[in-house]
Amino acid sequence: MDKVGIVGYYQVKPGLDIMMSPYEMIFEAVRGALDYADLKRKDLTTVISATNDYYDGKTISNCFKVEAGGAYMKDESKVEMDGAHAAMYGLFRILSGNHKLAMIYGISTPSCYQYESVRVLENDPTFDRPINLLNSYTSGGMQMRAYMKAFGISEEDIAKVAVYNLKNAAKNPLALPEAKKADITIDEVLKSDILSTPLRELMYPMKCDGATAMILAPERQALKITDNPVWIIGVGNVNETYYLGDRDLSVSLSMEMAAGKAYEMAGIKDPKSEIDVAEVFGHTACEDLIIAEAAGLTDKGKGISMVDRGNLNPSGGTMAGYTPCANGLTRIVEAAKQLRNEAEGHQINGAKMAIATGQVGFCAQNNVIYVLERGGN
Amino acid sequence: MPLPDYEKKSYKRTRTMHGNWYLASYRYKFNLSRTKVFLKGLAKGHILGLKCRSCNTVSFPPRLICGRCLVKPDQWVRLPETASVSTFSANYDADDKNRERPYPIVAVQQDGTDTVWVHNLTDKFDFHDVYVGMPLKAVWAEERKGIWMDIDHYEPIEDPAIELNKKEEEM
Ligand SMILES: [Zn+2]
Repeated sequence: MDKVGIVGYYQVKPGLDIMMSPYEMIFEAVRGALDYADLKRKDLTTVISATNDYYDGKTISNCFKVEAGGAYMKDESKVEMDGAHAAMYGLFRILSGNHKLAMIYGISTPSCYQYESVRVLENDPTFDRPINLLNSYTSGGMQMRAYMKAFGISEEDIAKVAVYNLKNAAKNPLALPEAKKADITIDEVLKSDILSTPLRELMYPMKCDGATAMILAPERQALKITDNPVWIIGVGNVNETYYLGDRDLSVSLSMEMAAGKAYEMAGIKDPKSEIDVAEVFGHTACEDLIIAEAAGLTDKGKGISMVDRGNLNPSGGTMAGYTPCANGLTRIVEAAKQLRNEAEGHQINGAKMAIATGQVGFCAQNNVIYVLERGGN
Repeated sequence: MPLPDYEKKSYKRTRTMHGNWYLASYRYKFNLSRTKVFLKGLAKGHILGLKCRSCNTVSFPPRLICGRCLVKPDQWVRLPETASVSTFSANYDADDKNRERPYPIVAVQQDGTDTVWVHNLTDKFDFHDVYVGMPLKAVWAEERKGIWMDIDHYEPIEDPAIELNKKEEEM
């Protein structure tokens, strides 16, 4: 694969109820990313957004976002759900040779709708919805139970991951203020409310309004824009079966396969030693481990060791504020910041190689992974 | 949950699923502070457009973001009450079986702007006489409250210049 460079990005500071319309949030993100890279709107050749029509309360909701997203009179398209998938779409467009600069953004504002209720509509209407038992909480609980049972993990271990993420969030200036918990203890997590056993409130990220934008350019163009781009050198995307009952929830087969493809593309033989930092999108503290393990960063059932090493989700991951549709893109941007030595307050020293992941669906049905490499000096 | 009888009858081969989220519960967000100046202007009987300093485009109703320049326009400009028909259509009330009274919908371009909005035409005017480019004038609601509908409707005028002169004499 030809190298594609990340040359600019911007994250709107997340909030439980931001006093801005989504329209203005997109504007802030897109304008911010262009300004950061010292580019003009006319330089953009394509704009890809990640949104969800249900979450936007409008059908074909990207139509409404054209002006704010910088797409006026430009090639424009949308991906339903995660920003990491929109980034993949943008990557394809760049690699086609037809585009020189792609703006990618993801946005959602859960303050406008009942996030968990809307997710119920993801359920299959024939088999799952009549029973009406499957939702983000229950699927998260069942996944956590399956993982604990398969590898002999305790609730304390998962609580430890939650504590780790929330403490990292406290060091991240762009974390949701309510998620910054520098003094949180394992005991507090274990005493927090039950969502669906064994999943507890503090093991589950807070949903918040947020938007993230990122700019991609082909190698030559990227080097004209910046001296230190972040290169995307590998990407993998695998979708597995929809029905939870047809999957082994204690592992992520789709991430395992996606990571295999991405590492092969990037020439990575041993991800355990070659990857310096990982930003993974897990829907619960437990899922962070499942995805990190599937991505080959540790052996199966040993994800907790990443917490001790401290190179998993230095930003706090989704536990630092879960912004639907922007999550995956935020992970890529956070990983890029690590590689450019720009992660204020949560920098991993000397990071040269990183991975970032995105996902869609209950228990991470569809996974995408990026291998990122530091460019320049 | 058992289905009500009437639904069982009408859906023999499929089942009806009850979702538990409704679009009607969606809370649409809009930043009112950006339109305050505009609404205050309406209360005073002023029609204000928003001008982009970068491309000089004037929008009415105000567009909060200029898509051409990717900036937030911030210059409010006073507009005349005169406008013109940009395009139009007509429909009929559903119970108007004989289709005797077409109900006009006019796309109105306020003079001095680059945008168009859709509004009502006075009901004292025969739809068949409407034409593209027809000069119009905004008619204010009896009581202005600083809301969108302070401009109640538009009415045809003979010549925008005459209207402008009239306005100047009043002032
Ligand atoms: Zn402009």
